[in-house]
Amino acid sequence: MIEIAPIMAVFLPLFGAFLIPIISMVSKRFHAERACNWFTVAILITTLAVVAAMGAAVWGGGIMVYKLGGWSPPWGIVLAVDGLNLLIALIVAGVSSLVAIYSLVYMRQETRLDLYCVLLLLVTAGAMGITLTGDIFNLYVFFEIMSIGSYALVAFRRKWDSVEAGIKYMIIGSFGTSLILLGIALLYGMIGSLTIADLAQKLGQVAASDVVVPLALLISGFGIKIAMVPLHAWAPDAYQAAPSSISALLAGATTTAGLYAMIRVVYMMFGAFGVGTMFAIFGLVTMVLGALMALTQRDLKRLLAYSGISQMGYVLLGVGLGTALGVQGGLFHLLNNAIFKVLLFMCAGAILYRVGTTNLDELGGLGKNMPITAGLFVIGALAISGVPPLNGFASKWTIYIAGIEAGKAVFSLIAIIMSVLTLAYFLKAINAIFLGQRPKRLQNVKEAPLTMLFPMMLLAVLCIVLGVLPSLGIDLVAPAQGALMNQSGYINAVLGGI
Amino acid sequence: MEFGPGFWGPIVATVVMLLGAGFAYLMLLGGRRLTKERPSIAKRSTYGCGEEVKPEEVIADSEQFYSPVRRVFKPFYRYVQPWHSGKLNTYLLWVVIGFIVILVAVALVLR
Amino acid sequence: MSLNYIVAMLLIALGLYCLLLKRNLIKIVIGLGVMTDGIHLFLISMGYREGGIAAIVTGEMLENAAGFASAAVDPIPQALVLTSIVINICIVALALSMAIWVYHHYGTLDPSEIRRLRE
Repeated sequence: MIEIAPIMAVFLPLFGAFLIPIISMVSKRFHAERACNWFTVAILITTLAVVAAMGAAVWGGGIMVYKLGGWSPPWGIVLAVDGLNLLIALIVAGVSSLVAIYSLVYMRQETRLDLYCVLLLLVTAGAMGITLTGDIFNLYVFFEIMSIGSYALVAFRRKWDSVEAGIKYMIIGSFGTSLILLGIALLYGMIGSLTIADLAQKLGQVAASDVVVPLALLISGFGIKIAMVPLHAWAPDAYQAAPSSISALLAGATTTAGLYAMIRVVYMMFGAFGVGTMFAIFGLVTMVLGALMALTQRDLKRLLAYSGISQMGYVLLGVGLGTALGVQGGLFHLLNNAIFKVLLFMCAGAILYRVGTTNLDELGGLGKNMPITAGLFVIGALAISGVPPLNGFASKWTIYIAGIEAGKAVFSLIAIIMSVLTLAYFLKAINAIFLGQRPKRLQNVKEAPLTMLFPMMLLAVLCIVLGVLPSLGIDLVAPAQGALMNQSGYINAVLGGI
Repeated sequence: MEFGPGFWGPIVATVVMLLGAGFAYLMLLGGRRLTKERPSIAKRSTYGCGEEVKPEEVIADSEQFYSPVRRVFKPFYRYVQPWHSGKLNTYLLWVVIGFIVILVAVALVLR
Repeated sequence: MSLNYIVAMLLIALGLYCLLLKRNLIKIVIGLGVMTDGIHLFLISMGYREGGIAAIVTGEMLENAAGFASAAVDPIPQALVLTSIVINICIVALALSMAIWVYHHYGTLDPSEIRRLRE
């Protein structure tokens, strides 16, 4: 049973997506309109269980390999799961199931709920495919599935801002995936194989100056998905205009999967650890631009979008430092980013659901009406700013110390200053929404419904637990970091079965 | 109780912070019991330059909230913020420029 | 054979020109399509072999498998391009339907006018 777990983790959401139209047709006959949403929740929790079942085999440093159709690599497509894949797959599956539970209430009045559930399952299937595959063209196909699903989800409401953000995201995103395809084409022409392990082995014998153009194309293509500066232009519009559950999904699942693809290709396939300094500098620029643009925003979701761009800069800085501590800090911050960004977007969604607007100038004094949402938002804001004893502090502390130990103390200094600015704009947001005077028309605003509060409370508990016991987080992340640096072990495990 | 590099004892620090926060909350409660907030009309008109200002209109404009910080980082706001103009062709131009910068950087590293 | 590569690069450059300088959403989508066509042409021409035969196994080929393998054109880029063409259809269809909705809300297809979400 465990041997087919990788393919089941990809196959379950995909098959569920194809079953939903039938289920919704049947359920409309029985007037149970939200049956497709419950079905989505069930499928995603099963996927999470399947991914967790793979954990035992992989966490000791082992690598699980599944050959599709029995064809061994490099002639067939192979799914290879090591510690890094498992961490990212856990994040993606966890975020998707929480978003599905949140959507039970948030998308209650939608008439096209079955379309929403199909697209949600397709995005999850695409993200799981990216994290579990061992073949680069398979990665491209699943990347496209995930991207196209997210383009449609951003424009889901079909209002003026949704379609504007959707068309911009779509054109920029398609441009990015074309760049990835060109990079894969150049690589295939140079080497003649498509399996990542085989490419890693053969690229070790190619002169470094030959791979400059494919590497640059692949970094640019994946960089568009993770909103690295200057490829980040679609992100504020898309996060602002999408339904809040989809903003949470984009911030948690698709960005994480995109970053995983980037580090797998750059670090394990090309073995180009020297590119790390470039990543660190891009990470710093991303951090600075995200924080400074967020200081002047009027809209809560746009502010959270720039904040998400800024946090990705921290992850790039950590991963780019190249040392073991740096990569551990970067991956830990990736895990924490998924947790608190999803929490913050869900809080913004709760406010939008009850009040109808997220414009900071029109809100005020909601702390008396929505105390639980206010408390959860404050926990998320303190976590993202790196205030002890929450989880953001643990991962940012690791990144700062890694920067100092790698000899680049200037990077840590800039990162600390940007943390302070992060706290600044979040305090502005908390003040504008929850404290201060309450306008008369907001007097009867009620607390968010319990089903929406449940995922948020779970994430806040995770924030606190990972902050008070940070060794738990490092235990989760250390196998991933070990797997990333262990290129020869990966090649032997995947190709050694021939 | 050590965590990673340096010394940071999470459980000790959490307990100390919670105790400190509880102490501060008690002080706040004690202070509120002695004097309540009661913005009278005379006080409000003083702050409103002689005009009648309703309490719910007293909200800081969110864009001007951090104007001192904006003054410090003025070069950024003068040069970089206008580039986020919202035009699709500009954003695609950024992607091309970004690709060229990445190409040059990778070529310099992997020489 | 380098004529193929030159034309592929020209197509990519033309597609890029359309993406960057055209002021109509439909023309931008067409530019995206032209650019991906250039990439597909590049990919297929990479698998070409001088004087090669199509990589389809018929009855007579099976007896001389080694000769077939050395004379046939590489089939993998063709499979990759077929997959990519299908993905491209989805992208163009979704982009055009979004452009219809943009026209419905904004009344224009000019990207310089469609900028209510800025900064």
